[in-house]
Amino acid sequence: MARINAEKCVGCRICQTYCSVEAIGFDGQKCFIDPDQCVECYVCLRQKVCPRGAIEVSPLDNFYKEFQHMMSDPVENHPVTGVTGRGTEEVKTNDVSGRVKRGEVGFAIDMGRPGLGVYLRDAEKVAMALCKAGVKLTPAEHSPLAALMPDITTGKLVEDCLNYRLLSVIIEGKCREEELGKALAALKEVESQIDTVFSVGLIMRVDENGQNPAIGCLDDLGIPRPHRGKVNVGLGRPLAEA
Amino acid sequence: MTHSLHRSGDIESQKKDFVWFMYQTKGVNDVGIKPKALAFIEAAEAAGSVNWGDVKTGPVTRFPAEEIKAKLSDKSRIRGVFTRREQVVEFLKRIKEEDLGMSVVISGVLDEVLAACREAGVKPHSINFSLGVWGRKEKLPDDVTLSITTMCGHHMIPPKFVEYIIKQVDSGKMTPEQGANRLSDFCYCGIFNQVRCAEIIKNQTGK
Repeated sequence: MARINAEKCVGCRICQTYCSVEAIGFDGQKCFIDPDQCVECYVCLRQKVCPRGAIEVSPLDNFYKEFQHMMSDPVENHPVTGVTGRGTEEVKTNDVSGRVKRGEVGFAIDMGRPGLGVYLRDAEKVAMALCKAGVKLTPAEHSPLAALMPDITTGKLVEDCLNYRLLSVIIEGKCREEELGKALAALKEVESQIDTVFSVGLIMRVDENGQNPAIGCLDDLGIPRPHRGKVNVGLGRPLAEA
Repeated sequence: MTHSLHRSGDIESQKKDFVWFMYQTKGVNDVGIKPKALAFIEAAEAAGSVNWGDVKTGPVTRFPAEEIKAKLSDKSRIRGVFTRREQVVEFLKRIKEEDLGMSVVISGVLDEVLAACREAGVKPHSINFSLGVWGRKEKLPDDVTLSITTMCGHHMIPPKFVEYIIKQVDSGKMTPEQGANRLSDFCYCGIFNQVRCAEIIKNQTGK
């Protein structure tokens, strides 16, 4: 984990400018990393920001610290999914894998994004709200967060992880198109119960013009229609043909 | 990850910002990807990709292209940025013709991306639609800072460093382009649009 060697630190405070989550404090003489705020993204280490080399790394001392670093540092590969960054597939390879099929809606809830970070206790609240609304969460072989859930039908996380802060983590799942309104209503309710932000992505099969009429339910809920999208252009060879 | 999806800022500015990706699928086409990755990079460079990279090495704004290419492996993730729809069309046409079998994703303003698909003769398969940011939005940085930090979807760009760079440009210590290039160093994936960033800094500082 990242730490500042007090014997080397001269208190210049340059490092504070480079912290992605403002986890570096100053006690009047020396800088220090607040372990409860630090997400182990290692930006301060990779950018070599300290002119005295005072920022050092020590071994991550438990599974949750390793998970925290894995989710916060995109250079790492997740050991289960094998994918870099936060280890999810969402729409990226849907033309090959067919994970989200016609009539289904995938959810990619990017907890803590942009930039505020997320305590896992808040990720749990959102995951549980989605489960109660009928969303089936993606299992651990495709979604790192699910590895912390003893039972993915509830969204509840193991107790020991709840006070760890991550730069972000994605809750993935899917439901039938006719259940989309209920799931979005659940998200609207839970957004006031957490202490951070999340970005919402809806994954859908579309026609050749990029349309899917199911998105019309946004109007009923007062949610603006999306103007941005991540478009899988269908050039991947489907699994059945690969 | 959804890291290119939720960029923010002025819509006209976002229309000059397209992120391209090549994706391998675990257990299907994720072995021996290097020749295909090189074909993608060649097509992107020919179409004028202003930035590209592999998260395992870094962006071309920071590392020599040859070094990134030499270090490509099956764990690589190849992606980059275009600034004009015409570039996306040229890129998609070439990739379609080469029929490499890998997944291709273009992220951006839907009206622009879907128009590019039509012009290139490709049919969208699925879309991850952005419904934006929910929750405690009052805790977020200002809109200008966010329009820059969200160009690295992994949030490797510290908001305070954006403020620092804008002050440096404002005081004449660096140009908007130099500031944008410095910020691009933080995004290991190579999807930071330093051209758009320089425009944002210019608009903010009047330099």
